[in-house]
Amino acid sequence: MITIRNIRKSFDERPILHGVNIDVRDRETLVVLGRSGGGKSVMLKMIVGLLKPDSGSITVDGSDVLSMTYPRLRELRFKFGFLFQGAALFDSLTVGENVALALRRGRAKDELELNEVEIAERVSYALDVVGLKNTERALPSNLSGGMKKRVGLARAIVPSPRYMLYDEPTTGLDMETADEINVLINDLRTKLGVTSIVVTHDIHSAFVVGDRFAILDGGKTLMTGTRAEIENSTNEDVRKYISSSLSTSRTRLT
Amino acid sequence: MEVSTPAARTPRTQGPLVFDVIGRHTISFLEHLGMYFGLIWWMVRNVRNARESSTNFFSQMVQIGNDSIPIVVFVSTFVGMVTAVQSAYQLYSWIPRSVVGGLVIKSVLLELTPLLTALVLAGKVGATITAEIGSMRVTEQVDALEAMGFDSVSFLITPRILAGVVMFPVLVVFGDLLAVLGGLFGAVIVAHIPAGAFLAGMKSSFLTRDALFGLTKATIFGFTITSIASYQGYYVTGGSAGVGKATMATVVFTCLAVVILDFILASTLL
Repeated sequence: MITIRNIRKSFDERPILHGVNIDVRDRETLVVLGRSGGGKSVMLKMIVGLLKPDSGSITVDGSDVLSMTYPRLRELRFKFGFLFQGAALFDSLTVGENVALALRRGRAKDELELNEVEIAERVSYALDVVGLKNTERALPSNLSGGMKKRVGLARAIVPSPRYMLYDEPTTGLDMETADEINVLINDLRTKLGVTSIVVTHDIHSAFVVGDRFAILDGGKTLMTGTRAEIENSTNEDVRKYISSSLSTSRTRLT
Repeated sequence: MEVSTPAARTPRTQGPLVFDVIGRHTISFLEHLGMYFGLIWWMVRNVRNARESSTNFFSQMVQIGNDSIPIVVFVSTFVGMVTAVQSAYQLYSWIPRSVVGGLVIKSVLLELTPLLTALVLAGKVGATITAEIGSMRVTEQVDALEAMGFDSVSFLITPRILAGVVMFPVLVVFGDLLAVLGGLFGAVIVAHIPAGAFLAGMKSSFLTRDALFGLTKATIFGFTITSIASYQGYYVTGGSAGVGKATMATVVFTCLAVVILDFILASTLL
């Protein structure tokens, strides 16, 4: 379980988050909705300690992330898979090496838990799961945006994480590829029981993958709830956000 | 009598503005210095984590060492030739010709090869390191490494600095040999000094201490260039424009650091 309490963060004295409260239950997919530049990705990075909030608290399985020593933080990160917005693949490595990197973390070469054959098998399986079988030798620079996202996803899932963090997983993708990514996110939850946080401003994708939703507005949590609770909310700001997001989504679909 | 209080002086903007600018630049410089040494301290303290990136170390040795050989060959050979020709020109009529050999070996070992190799590599190696790490920073690859559980400093920076510390002296030894050969060529072909006289002068002036001094300088320059370049890349902000600025800053700061350190080392070690 991940608990976020009253986190605040400013950049150059400009407040981005001021009072975000979110609970993520085990085995659920929580979608964080909000406008671009609203601090959603910042919040995601805070969960794994890539950024520190100015105040507030974040706990993962009861452990306070903010007070952890660096070695403990690294151990905690082993529980997470993180799909970055631009996939963040290493250009100098092949697709196979990119995915395999996640299995070599925290270990010297002679201390790896898996031998090279086992690593190759795991990499092949992960690439198969994301629909990119036999692409191990390809270079990221030769892949399309959607394929890069899938490789990023394969890299995130290959060590069998307990938690998955998705930063705008469908942004910049065509509808068909976005739907494929959404199916993969759903598969990971149903088949592997992964707890996920999806950050997006794409409400169409959000409703496909999410169990519960948190809407961030003006740096605060506007509302948390199921799709039905959000759609039936009487809060004027929530209704306004949902209707504007749905109309944007419809415009894109047509 | 009118008393000038600090508040009363504030409207006279000329003085305070200058101090404000100097003060802000000083604070910014000290902040950077603190962050730089903080990064080095982190690297030293967590050097064990670099075991995860041993392959990175070897690829960096190739990139810093092997890939720099052509430029070192070119620069060192010409530096040796020019030194021999100019020494012969300046000292022509009033000293024995063998002295040119001595001058070449002293200049090359003590100063020219380590300094010029460092200045050339400040541009080539330094700029490459900053651009590589900076691009990784702005495309979230550094964050991706950390999120996977890697120590990004140990993974990206430690191998580059270690490779620089190892490969710079190797390149300087290589450069010394080529500069001597270049000097011999320049002395014999251009200045018409007999090869025997040149070599005899070289042999009589050679001191192992000089060679070791040159290698010490190379090691320190290797550390300085790779660490400044890594620091600049690691803390890049502002997207690809930021990477460009950081790369330029690397070339400027590494060159400045090299010439300042060159003076300090010559003053203290010779």
